[in-house]
Amino acid sequence: MTGKKLLSVRNLEITFRTEGEDIPVVRDLSFDLDHGDTLGIVGESGCGKSITALSLLGLVPSPPGRISKGQILFEGEDLVQAGERRLNQVRGNDISMVFQEPMTSLNPVYTIGEQIAETARVHFGLSPAKAWARAVEMLDLVGIPSPDTRAHDFPHQLSGGMRQRVMIAIALVCEPKLLIADEPTTALDVTVQAQVFDLFQELKQKIGAAIILITHDIGVVAQMTNRVMVMYAGRKIEEGPVAEFIRDPRHPYTRGLVSCIPRLRLPPDDHPAPLFEIPGVVPSPWELNRPGCAFAPRCARAMARCRTENPVLAPLGDGRAAACWLETEAAA
Amino acid sequence: MSGTQNILEVSDLKVHFPIAGGGKVYAVDGISFALPPGVAFGLVGESGSGKTTAALACARLNDITAGTIRLNGQDITRIEGEALKAARRDVQVVFQDPYASLNPRERAGAIVRRPLDLLKVGTPAERAARVDELFALVGLRPDQKELFPHQFSGGQRQRIGVARALASRPRLIICDEPVSALDVAIQAQILNLLARLKQDLGLSYLFISHDLAVVQHLCDRIAVMYLGQIVETGSRRQIFTRPSHPYTHALISAVPSPHAIGGASSRIRLMGDPPSPISPPSGCRFAGRCAHAQDRCRQAAPPLADTGEGHAVACHRANDPEVVAAREALIRAAPSG
Repeated sequence: MTGKKLLSVRNLEITFRTEGEDIPVVRDLSFDLDHGDTLGIVGESGCGKSITALSLLGLVPSPPGRISKGQILFEGEDLVQAGERRLNQVRGNDISMVFQEPMTSLNPVYTIGEQIAETARVHFGLSPAKAWARAVEMLDLVGIPSPDTRAHDFPHQLSGGMRQRVMIAIALVCEPKLLIADEPTTALDVTVQAQVFDLFQELKQKIGAAIILITHDIGVVAQMTNRVMVMYAGRKIEEGPVAEFIRDPRHPYTRGLVSCIPRLRLPPDDHPAPLFEIPGVVPSPWELNRPGCAFAPRCARAMARCRTENPVLAPLGDGRAAACWLETEAAA
Repeated sequence: MSGTQNILEVSDLKVHFPIAGGGKVYAVDGISFALPPGVAFGLVGESGSGKTTAALACARLNDITAGTIRLNGQDITRIEGEALKAARRDVQVVFQDPYASLNPRERAGAIVRRPLDLLKVGTPAERAARVDELFALVGLRPDQKELFPHQFSGGQRQRIGVARALASRPRLIICDEPVSALDVAIQAQILNLLARLKQDLGLSYLFISHDLAVVQHLCDRIAVMYLGQIVETGSRRQIFTRPSHPYTHALISAVPSPHAIGGASSRIRLMGDPPSPISPPSGCRFAGRCAHAQDRCRQAAPPLADTGEGHAVACHRANDPEVVAAREALIRAAPSG
C-alpha cells in the first residue's frame, strides 16, 4: 500500500461550478505528510490553500464545489471515496481543524465546557460526567487558568486568545493524528499569537500530531514548520525544507513573497529602501483557461515559453522542487 | 516659527466612553505627542490600546473628553461648523478596510471628488482636473474613474482611499492600519506608495499599526501605547536600538522572524491578555503582565520620563540591570539592519 505516510494527496483537482462551467480552483495537487510532521501552506488569498484544507475533511461545499479528480489517502484509505458516515468518524478522531475566526466558530449559547465535552461524548461515548472531566482537563492542557470554573463560561466571556485556546482544545480532545490550522492567529494580537504558537509547539510534543499550518506570514512559517509548500492560482509551485526555502527561494513568486515583507531589524535601517513589489494581483480562476504559467503576467523574468507552456514541478535536490521554466532550463 | 511649527500637537488627550449601567471605558487616558512637518509618526499597540481612538480624535471624529489638539498651531479641540470644515482640509484619513470605507454605489471618480465638494475646494472645473491628477498620483488609470468599488482589487481600492485622502491637499494624513486588510504582496505596493507620497508631497503621517515591522519601515518617530497611555516614545533609531519599556521588548519579541527558524528560545512571553480599559489597574497598567514588576510598580504609576533627546519611557525599572539585560538579550537575538 502507501507504506508509512500519514497523508498522501495525489493529483487533487477541486472545481467550482460557476455559470454552468466547472472552474478548477485546485489543480493537479500532490503532497505527502509523515506522522508528526509540520507542513506550512503559503500563498495569497485565492490561491486555493483553504479549500485544499477543507477537502481533507470532506468539507468542500457541494454544490457548487466538488473534488473532480485525485485521491486523498489518509493512512492508505482514500477519503475522496469515503461516505459521509466514515468521514464523520475521521473528522475529530483522526483529522481536526482550527479555523481563523474563533468568535464565529464557537456556539454562543453553550458553555465552552459543554462544547468540548460534546466532542468527547460523541467520539468516545463517554458518560456526561466523564466527558465534562475530560473538557476541564483539555482546558488545563491549553493553558486556561482555573479550568474548572472557566468551563462554565460562555464564549463571549472570553478574550480572543482564550477563545482560540478553546478551539484548539476542541480540535485536540480526540487526540487526532492530523491537526489543520487555517490562519489560526490572524484575528489575534501579536503577543497573544506568540502564546498560541508556543502552545502548538508544546502540544505537538505532548500529543505527537502532524500539523498543517495555513498562513500568509513567512515569519510564522519559519518559526512553526519544518516543510513549506507554496501555492499559486491553485497549484503547488514550490516546496522544500523551511530553512532552504527562506534562505534561497527558487520560484520568482516565492522570492517575491519572501522579500516584499518589511522585516523588523535591531538596530533599524535609517533609510529603508523601497520594498520589493510583485506587480499586479492573483488571477481569478476563470482567467486561467489559458496556456502557460499562471504567474507569467506578474513575473519580471517571464520568457516566451512561460506564456505558452505550463511549467511542471521539477525536483531540485534536497527534497526541494519548483515549477518554473527558469529552474528547469538552468538544470538542463 | 512657521517653518518648524508642529503640524499636530496633542496635549493630555483623554477620550472616555460611557458604558451602559455606569462606568467608563478609559480608551485614551492622557496622551501627549507632537508631529513636526514631513514626519511619519507611528502609534503602535495591541487591540484595545486606544491607538485608533486617539488617531480619530485628531481628525475630530469622536468626542474628546479632555485635553487639546492643535493643528498647524490652531486649537481644533472644540471648533465646529465651517471652522471645523476648514481645519479638515488639512487633516484627512485613510481607513483600514478598503472594502467598507468606499461607498459601493458611487463611482471611483465621484468618491475621490467628494471631499473637494464637501470642503468647497476650488471651482467645479478645478475639481475635475484635481481628480485626474489624483488618479495619476496614486497609480490608477483615468478611465478607472467610471468604475464602481467592487470592480477593483483590494490594493486598488486602497489606492482610491489614498487618493480621496489627498484630494484637499492636506498636510497631515491619518492612516489607520492602511495595509492590515491587504494581502502581503499588495501591502508592499501600498507601503511604497505611501513612502513615495510622503517624500514627494512633504506629507506628515499619523500612522496606526499593530505591525512593528511595518512601523519601523515607514515611521520616523514612534509611540507605543498600552491601555490608553503612551509607555514609550522616541525616534525610529531610539526605539529599535534602545527599546526600554518591557512592553516594547515583548512586542518586538513577539514578531515572528523569518530568520528564527524553529522558534527562538529567548522569546519574551507575556502572560494573559491586556486588562480591561473599563477599570484599569492603579499603578503601572502593564505590571500585571510584566516579568520585571515589583511592589512599587503596582502601587504608583510611572511617569513618562524623557531619558534624553526625545526618548521617553514610563517604567520605574527601565534602567535597572535586569531590564537592561533583557533588552540586550533581545537585540542579540534579532537580525540587524
